[in-house]
Amino acid sequence: MIAFWVLAPVMVIAALGILFVRKAVHAALLLAVVMISLAMLYAALEAPFLFAVQIIVYTGAIMMLFLFVLMLVGVDASDSVVETIRGQRVLAVMVGGIFAVLLGVIVGQAGIGTAVGLGAANEGGNIEGLAEVLFSQYVLAFEATAALLITAALGAMVLAHRERLVPRETQADRAAARVRAYGEHGDHLGPLAAPGVYARHNAVDTPALLPDGSPAEQSVPTVISNRGTGRPSPSYRDVDRVVGQLQSRRDDQDPATDTVVEGSGSAARGEDA
Amino acid sequence: MNDEFTGPAIEWARLWPLFAVFGTALVGVAVEAFAPRSARCLIQSSVAGVGLAVALVGTVLVALELPERAGGAARGDVTAGGAVVVDGPTVFLWGLLVVVTVGGLLLFAERRVDAGLPVFAGQASLPPGSTAGPGGPGEPSYEDWEHTEVYPLLVFALGGMMLFCASGDLLTMFVALEILSLPLYLLCGLARRRRLLSQEAAMKYFLLGAFSSGFFVYGMALVYGYAGTLNLAGVAVAVRAGGGQEVLLLVGAAMVMVALLFKVGAVPFHSWTPDVYQGAPTAVTAYMAAATKIAAFGAILRFLYVGLGDARWDWAPLLWVVAILTMLGGVVLAVGQTEIKRLLAYSSIAHTGFLLTGVLGLQASGDLAEGQISSLQAVLFYLATYGVATVGIFAVTTLVRDPGGEAGSVARWTGLGRTSPLVAGAFAVFLLSLAGIPLTAGFVGKWSVFASAAGAGAWPVVAVAITSSIIAVYFYVRHIVTMFFADPPEDAPVVVVPSPLTSVTIAVALIVTVALGVVPGPLLDLAGHAGQFVR
Amino acid sequence: MDDVTPFLVLSAILFSIGCVGVLTRRNAIVVFMCVELMLNASNLALVAFAKHHGNLEGQVAAFFVMVVAAAEVVVGLAIIMTIFRSRRSASVDDASLLKY
Repeated sequence: MIAFWVLAPVMVIAALGILFVRKAVHAALLLAVVMISLAMLYAALEAPFLFAVQIIVYTGAIMMLFLFVLMLVGVDASDSVVETIRGQRVLAVMVGGIFAVLLGVIVGQAGIGTAVGLGAANEGGNIEGLAEVLFSQYVLAFEATAALLITAALGAMVLAHRERLVPRETQADRAAARVRAYGEHGDHLGPLAAPGVYARHNAVDTPALLPDGSPAEQSVPTVISNRGTGRPSPSYRDVDRVVGQLQSRRDDQDPATDTVVEGSGSAARGEDA
Repeated sequence: MNDEFTGPAIEWARLWPLFAVFGTALVGVAVEAFAPRSARCLIQSSVAGVGLAVALVGTVLVALELPERAGGAARGDVTAGGAVVVDGPTVFLWGLLVVVTVGGLLLFAERRVDAGLPVFAGQASLPPGSTAGPGGPGEPSYEDWEHTEVYPLLVFALGGMMLFCASGDLLTMFVALEILSLPLYLLCGLARRRRLLSQEAAMKYFLLGAFSSGFFVYGMALVYGYAGTLNLAGVAVAVRAGGGQEVLLLVGAAMVMVALLFKVGAVPFHSWTPDVYQGAPTAVTAYMAAATKIAAFGAILRFLYVGLGDARWDWAPLLWVVAILTMLGGVVLAVGQTEIKRLLAYSSIAHTGFLLTGVLGLQASGDLAEGQISSLQAVLFYLATYGVATVGIFAVTTLVRDPGGEAGSVARWTGLGRTSPLVAGAFAVFLLSLAGIPLTAGFVGKWSVFASAAGAGAWPVVAVAITSSIIAVYFYVRHIVTMFFADPPEDAPVVVVPSPLTSVTIAVALIVTVALGVVPGPLLDLAGHAGQFVR
Repeated sequence: MDDVTPFLVLSAILFSIGCVGVLTRRNAIVVFMCVELMLNASNLALVAFAKHHGNLEGQVAAFFVMVVAAAEVVVGLAIIMTIFRSRRSASVDDASLLKY
């Protein structure tokens, strides 16, 4: 009985919490508290099998399903506090309160005196006793639950499963399509070049330069080019100048590659500024 | 523990129609898994059709073989450890349910009314409005797909209903209640047109249905607390013995009744009815409106008559109130409706009230005058007339269509009698039957339930019933008048010519409705022959 | 512990709280959780009465209720998921196309 007086307030508080918390996740966790406490009460009521089933089925499966769906729906889903039907909440709470008192009084006063206890019924073991009842009186209901479970599975499939119209495209399919496009239209086969990094500007809105110095337009993300905010590559002029410098130096005397690069770099920088 | 466990005696000879139905559903699920998509619809509907035919034949055979009990007042057997009772009323309801389900099946399989497309959504998991596949025009799309799972779901629902009205204890009743409800929740959400409405209907039906089944379970617990058993016959014994905590029994029975009255849509618990009837695909509405009511009234009758027959004076006054509220609420709210399916929903609520009036006619069989109709007989007959007319009338509503789907608004039906007299005529006959005009089945049904209630002294209820019948006649006839004596609108809705599936359903319903109005004798005798419940 | 009355009172309280929750909460998932609370309360009553009467029928009934609840949860959450997918909201107030 100690278990009862410890758990009962916890359960009532947790259950009331479900009424008042805003977030659905918190409600789910509070419900889990109620359910686990309930399992302990089952143990106190000489129902060890239900104690296990309550934890495995209710807390383990049903509550987890709730939590999964909450995650899919969005954990932040919370209730609006706006009342759509005026006074509905007050009315519901009042009705509920009256109902609770009524039910409590009725059931409490019905009280029923000394319990017979399950000593005799559980004599050969609780599970054996349950099995005896389950497979004699309720065997048809037990078989009928099969229909229930199949319906549930069928329903989940109908409402949640999306059948593919066309077979899923695999990596091999995509590669083959690419090669085909190359063969037919001469489309670029490899991956696209990265933007700007290879030009002088380390920016995604500037096209990269091809080896001959011309900009690779495809290297700019299509979003940017469609939006029209891409920058033209400043490099044409640079390239011409560099080529000019290179030729003039080559005409002069010994060309040292690194200085050329440095020189062109600084020249370009100066121009940009 | 005693090692020699002896299983209960299950009389397969009595139960096999039930198992045939469940077996059909399982075959359907297997077909769903293995048959190619293109062939599935045909295979599924024929499997279901064959299964239903077998079940119907089985029901008739079982009915012929029922042993007599209690000196001929009742026929039947209690089997499966008291969990299932196969008696006269059960078999009558089984037959009725299977017939209504055949109608539902035909409507489910209809393709011609919606330009060759099936009744159900192509792919329920897609958000409304998107039926296209990945490709765009010309590419494969979900448009002409169909959820063929609806056929096994339909058959599962039928199995649940058959078990529901045959269950001999509250636990089996609860399991059966869920077996019949879950497929219906799902079917409600699968409409092809107006998907949001349909999904909303499914959610409302589901949440309120689950709420009401919570009441059922608590009521079951309290009744168990009173009687120490869940078996209805056992409860009856405890009630007769008296003593104990009566209050537990009364509160428990009231809560069980809340759930059962919710299923039939009686007035304080009716709020789901119009929404769900409107939102669900019309084929499902037709089936659900007829079959759920039949099954649930079977369960109500069994619970009240078998379990609580000796506490009649405790529950009868409450049921008086509910019946009066239901009849008045149904007809008063129906008067203002502008939407055809909502109108029919409210009218079905009113019919629930009339049926409850019949339930109130319970008398001890000794009190019955010679030749007087027993309340059970009256309710069974009424269920038959109501079920047939309901399937027929909803089938007719699928035919009148606007470009976006069915023409739901009552105003759109104006002048239909001029443009397509056949459809409007059929609709009018069903309306007249629901209104209870003489020479239709509805009249005889109403007359029999009123007579049996009056015989049991429920005069006030009968008076209210007659008043509300008159109000009901007003809005039924008003609708008929606008159909026949007003000009059709400019952009009149199209009346499609259905395939034989729907035509046959409507034609048979029409013939039965008229025939039962003209010659009600045979079916009344059959219902009377069903006898009393076996305990 | 010979009297199961306190358990019954507790179950009545929990049932009523679940009832109020169904009537006041807006989020369909929370509403459904409140229904589960009602079923749990009923189970407690069943198990308590089983002890009171000294037979196991009540426990078997509670077991069946759990099985049924599991199937119901699957269907219910699937329905709630579809409606959420199509309107990005699980509030029962937003589902208000069907009105008279």
